[in-house]
Amino acid sequence: MPPFFASAARQLPLALVWAAALWPVLLWLVHARDPVAAVRLAQGAAAAWAAAWPWALGGALATAALFPPAPAFVRRALHRARQALLLDQQALLLRLDDLRQFETAARQLEVGRMLRQARKHEQAIPHLGRAVELDETMAGGWHQLGLALFALHQWPAAARCCERAEALDPGHAFGDALLVLGRCLFMAKDGRALATLEEHARRHGGSPRSWLWLAEARARAGDPPGAVAALRQAAQKPTVALSPEDGWFRALARVRLWGKGGRA
Amino acid sequence: MSRQPSPVDAYPATIVVAIACVTLAVVTRMFGPPEEFEELLLQHGLLSPALVADGDWWRLLAAAFLHGGAVHLVFNLMMLWSLGPALEQSLGSVRFTALYVASAVFGNVAVCLLYDPRQPVLGASGAIFGLMGAAVALNMRSGRHALAFLDFEGPRRLLGTIVANLVIGFLLPFVSNTAHVGGLLAGFAVTWLWLRPGRGPSPGLRRWRLAVGALALALLGWSGYPVTRADWLADAVARAADPGRALQLTEAFAAAVGDGPRDRPRPRGR
Repeated sequence: MPPFFASAARQLPLALVWAAALWPVLLWLVHARDPVAAVRLAQGAAAAWAAAWPWALGGALATAALFPPAPAFVRRALHRARQALLLDQQALLLRLDDLRQFETAARQLEVGRMLRQARKHEQAIPHLGRAVELDETMAGGWHQLGLALFALHQWPAAARCCERAEALDPGHAFGDALLVLGRCLFMAKDGRALATLEEHARRHGGSPRSWLWLAEARARAGDPPGAVAALRQAAQKPTVALSPEDGWFRALARVRLWGKGGRA
Repeated sequence: MSRQPSPVDAYPATIVVAIACVTLAVVTRMFGPPEEFEELLLQHGLLSPALVADGDWWRLLAAAFLHGGAVHLVFNLMMLWSLGPALEQSLGSVRFTALYVASAVFGNVAVCLLYDPRQPVLGASGAIFGLMGAAVALNMRSGRHALAFLDFEGPRRLLGTIVANLVIGFLLPFVSNTAHVGGLLAGFAVTWLWLRPGRGPSPGLRRWRLAVGALALALLGWSGYPVTRADWLADAVARAADPGRALQLTEAFAAAVGDGPRDRPRPRGR
């Protein structure tokens, strides 16, 4: 999701509270000028609100029917919300307290990793940055920092971090550093992206996510048959239960494959 | 050897609330003739949205200390007695009082926003639902993560009690579930955002406090000045000194009334 929309989606609940708070103020202002207009506005809003529910329900059902990744998207959104809700606050507080007592790179990394897992990327970055500042040879720190920057769409910076992690520990995190590096290069329109993703596929095999990203890189490099082959791999029926994240990428691959007239 | 503090020292606010409810039951002559009882309830703070819009803001709080009968009073006191002492000892008397007042007021604000203007409402259960919402918020704040409290029997029973009471409220026509839900949300929000904020880093807390505070003020203001509601407009027509303004308000009243006045609604307890 582009950063603007991701940021807007995060602010939506707060915006709705503000809208509810400002609604009476708007009605008071309209009433001061024209009481009839205020009544009409309130009645129109009430009627629209009452009529909105069937439309919203119908729209949701139509979206699910016309856009197959909708269930996968909902599953992923629920999974992310659950992860954020289940953040172990006590463990985080203990780690922060540990940090206040005595700072080490490993402690900074642990705090940053916990914050990142709770999708608090902006808060995680200072801790992860400090971790790699204290220990420049910590591949895990560079990898986590790269992931946090990747989530914030800071492609060149994320690529540099993942490249560092991969240089320090080739195949770090079962190839995840290499995969994210390839994706960052792709997003930054760097020519090395395809070679990096191909190398990842050769060395570490693939998941729906890595095959989908490889398909996009091949398509951009002018290799449509190769892209379709990668999409087929991504859309394959899984032999084990996929995580909600991988389920989302498989759903996307299936849709793109249908768009190209193929099947998994 | 340490001595247990007396109830008056340990949870004075709960005792004061209970005494106030019983005292008002006596003052309003709960067991006297029904007409006299209704008249005294009206004098002592019976709530209806129209009365609040007419300027009787104090009814938003006072109605939470009145009860419509002995069963109503006894059930609410039982719930107060089962929740109040533990919560007051956990939060402190001042914060407990703030929580009780906020839950009572915003339970009644919900009634003012959603009910027929002439619908009378009374009872402490909006505030008591606020205490339940606060207990849920405290449980969510005190575990390893927000849902850790579901591992324990007591908090699970509390959720069961809330759900059961809401279902009963929906099934019984003389129970005001709107006030229950309003009080529950107010109690949860006040505790979550102000009385027991998270101990970890939470940069969004200030923004949420500001937004929810603004919403609370707007809803409170709307209870008193619901400028698109027919009863408020009728009253404003009568008060308007300027003939032009009176005509404007009359037209707005005609637009708001639509199909004409409805039958007088029956009182609801909470």
